[in-house]
Amino acid sequence: MISTMQRLGAGLALLLALGGVATAQQLRVLNWQGYGTDEPWAVEAFAEEHGVEVVHDYFNSEQEMLTRLRTNPGVYDVVLINSSYTQQAVSEGLIQPLNPDQLSHFEQLDQSLRDHPYLRADGELYGAAWVWGATAYAVNVNEVTPIPTTLEALWAPRFSDRLGWRDDAVESVQLAALALGQDMNSPTDLDAIKARLIALGPQIRTFWSSEDQWNKYMAAGRFDIATYWSGSAARSRKAFELPIRFVIPEEGAIGWFDGLSIPVDAPNPELAHAFIDYLIGPAFYVRWDTEVGAPAPANRGAMAELPEDAFNRAVMGDPAVTGRLTFMAPIPDQRRNRYLELWQEVKAAIVQ
Amino acid sequence: MRCRLAILGLTGPAYLWLLVAVFLPLTAMLYFSVLSETPLGNREPVLTGEHYRAFLEKSVYRDLLWRSLGIGLEVTAFCALIGFPAALALSRAVPGRWREVVFLLVVLPFWSNGLVRTFSWTMVLGAGGVLDRGLQALWPDAPEVDLLFTRQAVVIGLVHAYLPYMILSCYLALQAVDDSLILAARGLGASHWTVFRRLWLPLGLPGLVAGSVLIFVPVIGAFMEPRILGGPAGTVIGTVIEDQFTQTFNWPLGAALSFILLAVVLLILLLAYPLRQRLERVT
Amino acid sequence: MILLGRVFLALVLVFLYAPIVVMMVMAFNASPLYQLPMEWSGRWFVALMDNRRLLSASGTSVGLALATSLIATSLGTLAALAFARYTFRGRRLLQILLLPPIAIPWLIIGTSLLVFTFWIGLPRGWPALLVGHVALALPYTVILVGARLAVVGVELEDAARGLGAGPWQVLWRVTLPGLLPGIAAAAAFAFAVSFDQFVISYFLAAPGTSTLPVEIYSAIRKGFTPEINAISTLIILLSMALLLMVARLYRFGGSR
Repeated sequence: MISTMQRLGAGLALLLALGGVATAQQLRVLNWQGYGTDEPWAVEAFAEEHGVEVVHDYFNSEQEMLTRLRTNPGVYDVVLINSSYTQQAVSEGLIQPLNPDQLSHFEQLDQSLRDHPYLRADGELYGAAWVWGATAYAVNVNEVTPIPTTLEALWAPRFSDRLGWRDDAVESVQLAALALGQDMNSPTDLDAIKARLIALGPQIRTFWSSEDQWNKYMAAGRFDIATYWSGSAARSRKAFELPIRFVIPEEGAIGWFDGLSIPVDAPNPELAHAFIDYLIGPAFYVRWDTEVGAPAPANRGAMAELPEDAFNRAVMGDPAVTGRLTFMAPIPDQRRNRYLELWQEVKAAIVQ
Repeated sequence: MRCRLAILGLTGPAYLWLLVAVFLPLTAMLYFSVLSETPLGNREPVLTGEHYRAFLEKSVYRDLLWRSLGIGLEVTAFCALIGFPAALALSRAVPGRWREVVFLLVVLPFWSNGLVRTFSWTMVLGAGGVLDRGLQALWPDAPEVDLLFTRQAVVIGLVHAYLPYMILSCYLALQAVDDSLILAARGLGASHWTVFRRLWLPLGLPGLVAGSVLIFVPVIGAFMEPRILGGPAGTVIGTVIEDQFTQTFNWPLGAALSFILLAVVLLILLLAYPLRQRLERVT
Repeated sequence: MILLGRVFLALVLVFLYAPIVVMMVMAFNASPLYQLPMEWSGRWFVALMDNRRLLSASGTSVGLALATSLIATSLGTLAALAFARYTFRGRRLLQILLLPPIAIPWLIIGTSLLVFTFWIGLPRGWPALLVGHVALALPYTVILVGARLAVVGVELEDAARGLGAGPWQVLWRVTLPGLLPGIAAAAAFAFAVSFDQFVISYFLAAPGTSTLPVEIYSAIRKGFTPEINAISTLIILLSMALLLMVARLYRFGGSR
């Protein structure tokens, strides 16, 4: 008995040691999984240059990102915030102003994004514009012919039980608004939107809530057409070799751009600036898009360095296409809660 | 006097722990449930009953509660139907040496981590999964088996996860039954069925009831299995509550819904209490 | 009849193990997207050795489970003894108060602990996790030891007392040894409850201090590879060994 207890005690000590928190200096980043900042080569390059380990935590929705920031003060150094949420983060006192002087690539950023009011407050800069893209849908080119060109096509009988849909209230409402011709940023008829979404029920095979799920479902043939993001589509095609094509519909698509921010009590603000500077630079971006697949860059120079037929340069660089995008505006709390409620009701109605 | 000291000393530590870990937090959450918003930084919430009102006014929350209760009952029933006979078989049909081995085998799934078990079911149940392919291999014209993202998938996953609890609970009760009782009954000419009905069932009932409680309660608050196995069909009151805490940051609403769920659970347990009393008297 | 029982039991075991076997087999599939047909490979086990996140979470889980088992079994045995061997006013009330951790869905216990620690400004992580886990395991340990106590009966103790043994002697040499199967069951159960615990850990884990179930859930929700299968396979094999060791010591199957 005693020797067993001794053995157990030693084992416990060993395991507790394993379970302890690492002591090397860390830069903690909060981002979507697989969204550039956690690329092994990027992390390694930065670690080598600055002697710091880059550690990631992930979220599946902007809501979750905000909650993580709220409930973990003083933990994260860098956080990715969709520009339509930056103002909310500022007003809640979650992020701190950035110092553009510490960002050597700042001047290279496209002016309309760099100086965008969504990223600024009280004359201070709160987010460094990083990438932008569209939300619409992607299709499996091997299974779907002809390739549709409208949002309305999602409701077509030929896609019955073949559609994948992101389980997100805001995105769903906005896509339905676009399909109905309403202003996606202030829809006038929520009841019509709700009805349209419920009508989508028979089309939907599965909901998805992470890029990883999307890839696995598409690879398994679970759905042939699904809502998706442009940058993620690029990555699914290049890194995972899925036979897909991203479609920017005639009625329009949701436009967005993301900014990199620093939370208010970040443990390493200097290093955070350095990491952000690296990320918005052309070296990082070009390698990211050509090797993995990425959304469009805010850095004009980086865009110019891409091969001419790259999706981001050919399609996203085309004004005729980008003219169809409606960029996401910040959503006040009350309206967002209404969207969340609506979406819960839609899901409850759709279920078999 | 020594008696009282002994009782205090024996029960004190456990209950102190429960006070800090359960009762005080519940009180905190009760307070949160009547706040208008999560008290954080520069927000100034006020007292309000709006979240409880929301439950009464909006049918979606009630419907989801019903669904959770239904799933809970279904899972508990299946676990009882499968678990009790299994425990009986384990205690009576397996010779001593093997019993230990089989018992260990039954208990081992506890250790295999509920999440991975749940996610393994996604590989078994979906179209193109093990079940589908296996059926196609045996019977090439079979229709496609796609159980994933249905209520059935959630039930299967939950039964699989909680069955060992029932088997263990019933086994502990059945194992203590005196052999001589059974021998006497058989000697008096009782059939297997009569022995089961009049001896095994009543004597094993405490285990059955305990197991049912151990299963029903976690299941109605479950959100992990419904999310992973149920997809849209997996929206239950548990997932909505979880959303409030991890996504929408509407903690007061989550707290209010939690208390409503709690009230329902307590109601059911209160109804089951007389049953328990009667059992205690019998055994 | 006996045959029927064995067949049924065998089927139940198949049901319990089929997904686990599938999960283990898929740990050896080279495709990161779980695509079939199988391409046998051990790459995920190799990749695991570099996965600091998962290894750290495993360590936390095991350590936490051991601590929980120790504390919960001790506290639970003491309380069970009080209930079985003494009658006192308020006994019924105390027994009822033991119900909340079982009677309340873990979701509610987890979220209320989150709210509580948030409100009083306590950081989440190890202490909060331990508090929650032990609280969850306590009722089970009290019930399991109590069940054994109810069955063991007082005759032996009375006999020992009659032969002149003092209360401590009765406790150590008669009661506890007779209780051993119950205590062992309680300890094993408490370990399982803690190790497998997902819900409470989900709300109480902090960045940097996470348990294995929470990491796996995060991975499933956000992005995962068969590394998850690999570590689960290892954990099962490890716990099999652990369980066999415990069984050797305490003879689960049998003593009546």
